[in-house]
Amino acid sequence: MASFYWERHPDGPFAILIAVATTYLDPENYDLDSLKRLAKREDREEMRVFKSELREALRDPSQLPDDELWESVEYDDGSDEAFLRRLWHDLYGDEPLDAS
Amino acid sequence: MTVWKIVSWEPRPFEAPRSELGRFDPERAGLPPTSVDAAAKYVAEHRTARPWLTMADTASPEALRIIAALDAGGGHGHIRHEGWVTEEASMRRAAYREDPAQLDPEKRSLGIDGLGANDRPHRCRTTSTRITGPDAFATAFARGAEHPKVREALDMPFDPDGKPGEVTVPIADLLGPDSHRYCTGWRLEPVDGSMKDAQTNRNAWLVARAEGRNAVVPEPQARPVPTFEGGVITFLFARNDAEQRYEIVTMFPRPAATADDQSGIN
Repeated sequence: MASFYWERHPDGPFAILIAVATTYLDPENYDLDSLKRLAKREDREEMRVFKSELREALRDPSQLPDDELWESVEYDDGSDEAFLRRLWHDLYGDEPLDAS
Repeated sequence: MTVWKIVSWEPRPFEAPRSELGRFDPERAGLPPTSVDAAAKYVAEHRTARPWLTMADTASPEALRIIAALDAGGGHGHIRHEGWVTEEASMRRAAYREDPAQLDPEKRSLGIDGLGANDRPHRCRTTSTRITGPDAFATAFARGAEHPKVREALDMPFDPDGKPGEVTVPIADLLGPDSHRYCTGWRLEPVDGSMKDAQTNRNAWLVARAEGRNAVVPEPQARPVPTFEGGVITFLFARNDAEQRYEIVTMFPRPAATADDQSGIN
């Protein structure tokens, strides 16, 4: 049966990053404001993993699984790296990538 | 641009499960309770300002009740993904991001969203799809709202910042064998085999056009989705802050991915 990346690979690399990005940034239901609020929620384990995976993906975008991120989110930034950089800035502002 | 002849779809009647639709409780999907009589009155009162309600003209009374509840709620699936959206409008949504919900022709041609505030740009995946009639649409919605995967999403504990992730259900599970024939859609023509490049070009072309410049990329093209066989209905959710619960904000068919086109779902 057809399914999403994170359903096919629940423990796969960047599964949380791709799932959360799809939930909030799918063009059919784009909701960056909610994701910004959610990103501030330290009480959500999912968002701690999301931030960690976003950081890891930015350090080496080639580690992302094929075109799974684009196929899920259909971002219009042109590349995974450009999308991830914009997302980091939108959610965490000028926070350095290497901060803990 | 290329003119595609629509050979994959012709109108076909859908036999609505009227008793089943009559039993459906809109509140199960986070929608306002609506009777058949109240729904007919709602459509009569709002059809001028909300022309997508003309879809109700060919709906069974039970499907009309569900569509009226959808329209009175916060969802927009019936506005962008039901049969009132013509094939041409669906094609133009995929190619030019023209929103069928935008009733001002000039704003629509500029890609301005018809439902969002502040004339924000309309967003659209690389594929624009629809269920071709109101009875099939309402049936997919009602059955989807009772599907265990969708119920799990709707029944999640409410979080004022969160919302459930997207859920897919096979088209055939909701509408029966061969029901993929009640779905049509258009997708961007890939550029050099890449849908991502086609999407990037679409954006560049639309920006150039809006700024009155000649685009350096080719005009976007869209082509019909060849088949929805093996495809799914995708359900997306939003918060209803007033009611402190989640609701289905939209639903639409997605074709299965093929070897030469990964814009469908794997």
